[in-house]
Amino acid sequence: MSTRADTRKTREPLRRGGRGGMSRSGRIALYSTLTLLLLIFVAPLVWAISSSFKPRGDIFEYPPKLIPSPATLDNYRTLLDTQPFWNWFAISVVTALLATTVAVFVCALAGYGFAKFRFAGKRVLFGVMFSSLSVPFAVILVPLFILVVKSGLSNPWFALIVPWVAPAFGIFMMQQYIVQSIPDEIIEAARIDGSSEFGTFWRVVLPLLRPSLGALAVWQFLQSYNAFMWPLVLLSDVNQYTIPLGLNILFRAENRSYDLVMAGAVLASVPTILVFLLLRKQLLEGLSAGAVKG
Amino acid sequence: MWAPYAFIAPFYVLYVLFMIVPILVACGLSLTEWVGLGTPKFVGLRNFLDLARDTSFHTALANSTLYVLVSVFVVVPCALLLAQALHTRGLRARDLFRVTFFVPMVLSPIVIALVYSLLLDTQYGLVNSVLKALFGGGGVDWIGDPDWAKSTVAVVVLWRWVGYLTIFFLAALQAVPRDLYEAAELDGAGAIRSFFTVTLPSIQPVTAFVVVTSFIGAAQLFDEPYLITNGGPGEATLSVAMFVYRAAFQRQQFGYAAAAGLVLFVVVFAVSQLLNRLLAIGRAE
Repeated sequence: MSTRADTRKTREPLRRGGRGGMSRSGRIALYSTLTLLLLIFVAPLVWAISSSFKPRGDIFEYPPKLIPSPATLDNYRTLLDTQPFWNWFAISVVTALLATTVAVFVCALAGYGFAKFRFAGKRVLFGVMFSSLSVPFAVILVPLFILVVKSGLSNPWFALIVPWVAPAFGIFMMQQYIVQSIPDEIIEAARIDGSSEFGTFWRVVLPLLRPSLGALAVWQFLQSYNAFMWPLVLLSDVNQYTIPLGLNILFRAENRSYDLVMAGAVLASVPTILVFLLLRKQLLEGLSAGAVKG
Repeated sequence: MWAPYAFIAPFYVLYVLFMIVPILVACGLSLTEWVGLGTPKFVGLRNFLDLARDTSFHTALANSTLYVLVSVFVVVPCALLLAQALHTRGLRARDLFRVTFFVPMVLSPIVIALVYSLLLDTQYGLVNSVLKALFGGGGVDWIGDPDWAKSTVAVVVLWRWVGYLTIFFLAALQAVPRDLYEAAELDGAGAIRSFFTVTLPSIQPVTAFVVVTSFIGAAQLFDEPYLITNGGPGEATLSVAMFVYRAAFQRQQFGYAAAAGLVLFVVVFAVSQLLNRLLAIGRAE
């Protein structure tokens, strides 16, 4: 198992590694295939954005136009005027941030416990944690719903975060990162200086975890913000929908008309795309690091 | 002494509350008949016997199996192929490709469903407009025809997952020591042979992780069939997770839904534990 530091040093040469030189025609074929794929990935999104600026009657006009003419903001205006979109937005963002904060903290603590301590029952506890990765959400959907509703906790600000606060995936990711990048000596030194166990974690370990915490935070935020099944069974008041649920109900209520929901889809995607683009390096490397070196 | 337990305690408290307790409740509930009000009525194993005879449930199991097979045998190989292409020496704009292919994973499933419903509308959608213009005919009934509906769900799953899985393979490929390839080349191995003798064995742990992850994800697929095809036409795209949802929240058969969920749990759990053991992942240290 390589340490994080020497991976960084050797990444550049490795990146250019792989199979030897490639013929000119091979190169052309590769670039055209990848570019075609790029278009397949981007085209649906461009079409959605374009449609969101078209008047209702033009969305299915033939021949299809990529640039809307006339372009209009009516879909956005009507959506925001007739639907409690900003309520949906607020509840989606705030509950996602709450869930993310709790999850990141819980995972960092447990990841540290597993990475840097020996204790009785460690193997079993780790195995139990890890095996929860293979529990399908559909299994706990019904009982979780009953527990939450029966215990009077169906307030969406609380209930929406419940499935996302203790992700085993995050603990695994943290544990891997701590094993690889935080030397025991730093922790020993803090202990000799008389720091308490929690003080060591808070002042010494946590700051060093920042890149990995960022990746986990982005990932958890996406999971919670984009979640659909749990809000679907939980929420019944239109003013307290999350964005995904609001868009779904609106689409069905409007007899599958696309004008408002396309505007909503674009607005809904702005925060996640922005967060992703800003933190893409951290996220992609953080996600793959645990699996590759695990 | 107690410090490690204090560090892992918050997780296990939440884990017991929101995972273990619900699973136990599901076990109890699965032995009852309950409409959500009043006292559950104990019925023994009747829910499970009913499931064994319920053709909807059989359809759901078959469809979810299909989603699993597509994920493991189509999406995963495509991701590996894509990663191999992105790993090409001296490739320009690698990050542009890598980031763009990941974007579907960032989008909400409802957004993806809306975009694809718009594109694949039978009468007026862009895809059918283009097909009609090119080949004539009436276009393809992407959502309304049972076989095409299955393919539509499969394609959306591919579109959504492939870029996500690619980043794991790409990171793994980048970590394969270069001298292994040089040694293989000296032995006269061509590109194909060194892929099988060097690449595949070297990235085996990541392949294992990716296979298990896609298996678990596909086995509990809900959003795509619910949002794009609503399980239809008929029950052509109904998944097990959708079956559970419908039993509980449309027909108020909470005991029956819990039983169906447990069947899914046992199958997914057993298969993924088996895969984990076979492929040796998930051990502390």
